[in-house]
Amino acid sequence: MRSSIRARLAAAAATVGLILAGLSPALAPVAAADPLILRAGTDQDLQVLNPWNSVVVADFEVFTLNYDLLVNFGQDLEPVEGFAESWDQDGTTWTFHIRPGMLWSDGEPATAADVVYTFQLILDAVDTDYGCLGQCYLDGYLLNAGVTSVTATDETTVVIETEFENTLLLQSYVPILPEHIWSERTLEEIGNHEGVEPFLNEPPVVGTGPYQAVEFEPGNFIRFARNPNDWRAEQGAADEIVIQHFGSIDTAVQALRTGEIDYVRGVLADQFTDLADEPDIQTVEGIANGYTELSFNTGGNSEGYAGSTAALSDVAFRDALGYAIDQDALVEATLGGYGAPGTTIIPPFHTRWHVEPDNPRTFDLAEADRRLTAAGYVLDGEGRRLDKSGAPINLRLTWPDSEEENATNAQFIVEWFDELGIAVDAAVTEEGALIEAVTGPPFGPGDYDIYMWGWVGDPDPTSLLNFFRSEEIGYSSDSFYSNPRYDELFLLQRAESDPATRKTLLAEMQNLVYDEAPYIILYYDAELHAYRTDRFGGWTNQPSEGGTPLFGYGSFGYTKLTDLTAVPTAEPSAAAPSPGATPSPTGGGGDSAASDNTPLIIGIVALVAIIAVGFLAMRRRGPRAEEE
Amino acid sequence: MSGSYLARRFGSALFTIVLIILVNFILFRALPGSPERVILRGTPNVTPAQLEAARERWGLNDPVFPDQFVAFLGATVSGDLGYSFVARGQTVGQVLGQRIWPTVILFGLGELVAIVLGLALGAYSGWRRGGPVDVVGNGLSLVLYSTPYFLLGMALLLVFATGLRWFPTFGMLTAGADYPDIWARLGDFGAHLVLPLATVGLGLVGQYAIVMRSSIVETLSEDYVTTARGMGLREGRILRHHALPNALLPTVSLIAINLGYVVAGAITVEVVFNWPGLGTLAVEALTARDYPVLQGVFLLLSVSVVLANLVADLVYGVLDPRVRT
Amino acid sequence: MTAAGASWSPPIPAGRRAGRFDLLFRLIRRPEGAFGVLILATFAALALAPELFVGPLQTAVTAHGTRLSPPSAAFPLGTDELRRDMLNLTVHGARVSMAIGLLATLVTVFIGAVVGIVSGFVGGRVDAVLMRITDFFLVIPTFVLALILTPIIRDLVGSGSTEILGIRMTLIVIVIVIGITSWSSTARIIRSQTLSLKARAFVDRARVIGAGSGHIMRRHILPNVINLIVANAVLVFAGAVLTETTLSFVGLGDPFQPSWGQLLEAARSVGAPGLGAWWYFVPPGVCIVLVVFAFTLVGGALDDLLNPKRRGRG
Repeated sequence: MRSSIRARLAAAAATVGLILAGLSPALAPVAAADPLILRAGTDQDLQVLNPWNSVVVADFEVFTLNYDLLVNFGQDLEPVEGFAESWDQDGTTWTFHIRPGMLWSDGEPATAADVVYTFQLILDAVDTDYGCLGQCYLDGYLLNAGVTSVTATDETTVVIETEFENTLLLQSYVPILPEHIWSERTLEEIGNHEGVEPFLNEPPVVGTGPYQAVEFEPGNFIRFARNPNDWRAEQGAADEIVIQHFGSIDTAVQALRTGEIDYVRGVLADQFTDLADEPDIQTVEGIANGYTELSFNTGGNSEGYAGSTAALSDVAFRDALGYAIDQDALVEATLGGYGAPGTTIIPPFHTRWHVEPDNPRTFDLAEADRRLTAAGYVLDGEGRRLDKSGAPINLRLTWPDSEEENATNAQFIVEWFDELGIAVDAAVTEEGALIEAVTGPPFGPGDYDIYMWGWVGDPDPTSLLNFFRSEEIGYSSDSFYSNPRYDELFLLQRAESDPATRKTLLAEMQNLVYDEAPYIILYYDAELHAYRTDRFGGWTNQPSEGGTPLFGYGSFGYTKLTDLTAVPTAEPSAAAPSPGATPSPTGGGGDSAASDNTPLIIGIVALVAIIAVGFLAMRRRGPRAEEE
Repeated sequence: MSGSYLARRFGSALFTIVLIILVNFILFRALPGSPERVILRGTPNVTPAQLEAARERWGLNDPVFPDQFVAFLGATVSGDLGYSFVARGQTVGQVLGQRIWPTVILFGLGELVAIVLGLALGAYSGWRRGGPVDVVGNGLSLVLYSTPYFLLGMALLLVFATGLRWFPTFGMLTAGADYPDIWARLGDFGAHLVLPLATVGLGLVGQYAIVMRSSIVETLSEDYVTTARGMGLREGRILRHHALPNALLPTVSLIAINLGYVVAGAITVEVVFNWPGLGTLAVEALTARDYPVLQGVFLLLSVSVVLANLVADLVYGVLDPRVRT
Repeated sequence: MTAAGASWSPPIPAGRRAGRFDLLFRLIRRPEGAFGVLILATFAALALAPELFVGPLQTAVTAHGTRLSPPSAAFPLGTDELRRDMLNLTVHGARVSMAIGLLATLVTVFIGAVVGIVSGFVGGRVDAVLMRITDFFLVIPTFVLALILTPIIRDLVGSGSTEILGIRMTLIVIVIVIGITSWSSTARIIRSQTLSLKARAFVDRARVIGAGSGHIMRRHILPNVINLIVANAVLVFAGAVLTETTLSFVGLGDPFQPSWGQLLEAARSVGAPGLGAWWYFVPPGVCIVLVVFAFTLVGGALDDLLNPKRRGRG
């Protein structure tokens, strides 16, 4: 009997094993030797392999691994060879020379026809009722560059005509797709329209990028394998790349410490400080290409807007409040000291274009008070600031619930403005409702006073300049700022190919917005990344000033990595190689365990204490129970 | 079991499911902000045509009642829960499908462990009331019952993963690992499973032990047990043949009814351990305000609990002659 | 549902009316009752007058410690990432957590009692409909419903910093959501008690002398179920504190009025567990466990005291 039970149990266990093993799709192709895997963690959701559906940074990272842009980004974001190996510009006509003999990862030839197919896809999509492709983040790159036609004159030559002379085409974040795969799908399927089976571009993905997605668990991870037909002379050491999603960045940092992953994007401030002392871990503080701002409803309470006071429309009022915000304190408290106090609307990340304001404001509540009074906003007997109609100024301050760190900023702003006699009613707003509220006429109510949110830009600053244009009111403009001079400058800078002249134009725009203060830039966020230095070397920041090795601009950083595991260690190999290929979660343990003992001890003490309390309580209950 | 009992139970379950769908429908209409705005946030140059196209895509242009409701009911019944706002291009069904198994495994095993341990502990404590097992076990059960799951999970994570490094800190499998054979894969899975499973098991075991204990205490004071004792039956025999079967019935039924509460714990445990299941999905959807997915999770979990209850009712009906009416 | 009833605590027929102080006295004569009452009294004192113990709630601007520093003489429980004193935050957190728990309990018990009494007393169609709804809330995973409801209701009532009883609107929404989603087991218990009372002679007598339904429910049924309501409220309170904690933990709390759950969420979001900053999450964590534990002890003790079935078997 006994043996038969055991046999049945074994059979049952085997069955369970089979079921469990079947849970994960597509067993990995077994490599001859253990592949060298680079694992990178992010807290952004991994849901996309179809590049047109990209929204978050991780999505862009994924498609630039799979595909090349027509022109890639170099270490300092300069244009370098991508799908095209060289190019010439003659006024509004561009000629791109495609690398002869290049192959897609599946072995098909990659030619000028693929470029034409991809760009035409966007131009066709723009002509449909829907107006763009997928999530509509990529079409803008061709539209801003004014592309009107794309033709292939032969297998290796693409000619592109633009509406006006500019160089934005060299910065277009558009992946070149294989026509032989994608042309089997309709525009609707690719663009993810309602009522058709969407094209998800499931693995194995075919591209010309250095690595191709071969396994995808949506929301969990994407695994990439090296492109066998990679054209690059310089290839990264990683045989495979796994981009892993983490629900909380804390877990990701733990995994980095234990060696389960090699790279983390978006480390929190205090973790970042803490990681600096960790052996084999390097931290890198990059500057984000963007900022967090306090936006004013410059429409005030005029027709079509629902601000609580006309003062919001007054430049003098907004300027005065600019003296009541201590950007340094916010950087210290909210960002934990990482990042930089904000000034103008082009972040310092754009070293070529950023300027500091000609007339900077400094934190000075007395000066703010003086300026408010001078502008006609006086205090009443109860110390309340009055607007020009004599009503007390009470401002509503909000921020989206998706960006909770703004609650910290709000605590400061409430107290600073309170010093000036301005009551601030601060509360978070659900993101969807907030977007609705901060949309201007004719499509939205323009219903807010002041609010905080952030923007993230492209390699070119144009997109960050867009939402101060008058014609964006009702669309992307949330401050409802309108200034004909600004609108004019925007068009001039976009068509300007001389960098010096363009910088002059951009400087004027930055000062204009700074002085008139539709936005007060609170800070330029930091990009806090960390990586292990014991398995991979060759980590290269992109851009070299203020950049990070990965999650930057394209696949550049991955191609620079070198293998450190191949270097023989001082110890003889007797030091127990891990058994087989079984992934060992304890890999790299031990080394820093000693320094990590505090949480362990505390945890045990806390547990014991809680249990002891319960035990004591029940002991008292014990005898009574017997009496019953 | 009579036909009318069956019909009543099935009818009641069906009614509850229709109510769930109705609640889902009302919720979806009451959502703050309009979804097309949420999804188009940050998109350069959103045109009215794009907004309109988006409204069209999500069927927001039809009258709410009856068109949208009828469409909603039909779609839900046919398994069409719409498209995720976040997982672009994927239906809610697909998104849920990817996340359902991890949750089923974690909570299936967790429930199993907790039921076996909890009922055994509770039965023994109740039987040997005031004994050392009762005193320690009951105290522990009460403390565990008072501890939010995520707190328990954080403590275990801190001690056994971050501190001692005995177990991996996150996920269900080492991402992208190559496994030489199925056992290596299973081993990896097992290592990842230990801590979340322990959290779920510990979180539930307290409740089950408490219920089982009081149920046994209650049963042991019933007249027939007293009679059995009077007849000189051995205690062990009384426990096995009289007290246990009778105490088990209400306990199992209560466990079924309380499945709905267990779900709350499910959500936070998965978040703490980055377990790729429905709970993590629910919180991600909440953070991103991905309402279609959130509603899908609600629908799926609710219907599962209703069905589990139905099964428990039917089993109860078979076992207990008193309800076969 | 089934014959087994719908709650962990079996229905308690109110045999006799005990004076409030009499009940409290009997409660604290039991060791576990005394222990529970002691813990609760301590936290009630902290919640009633936190300023008395630790001064006003520290804000980002008034904080004066160093960032995330471990316990020291000046800061016995260390500081958070905004340089605030954790002792100050934990004590003020008691007020927020207990206030939300209390209000949510009142709402829950009120809805539960009204539904239970009306359903049990009126009977018929009303009973059938109300019990269907009750069963619905009993069986569905109400926490998931709460997750969806909170942002929606927050938008409906507007989350301005209007305060009710010193509690910000965002937290009032949590109270409402807990109330809406957790009254069903109370309703079940009260209904079954009402059913048994309805069959008793004094109700018939009242009816004979011409008392209206509303009068009977208020004057005859309610006083006889009040003990039951109190015993149930204690357990509801524990549940409400746990639910609030969990909702805050997934990010639905209010950083301007930090509850213990909100503190835990903040601790997690700055990565305190990984940083070894145990002083950030251990104090609120222990407080939550203690309070829920104490309520469970008191609830159990009350159950024993008020349940004549148990007493009879003693």
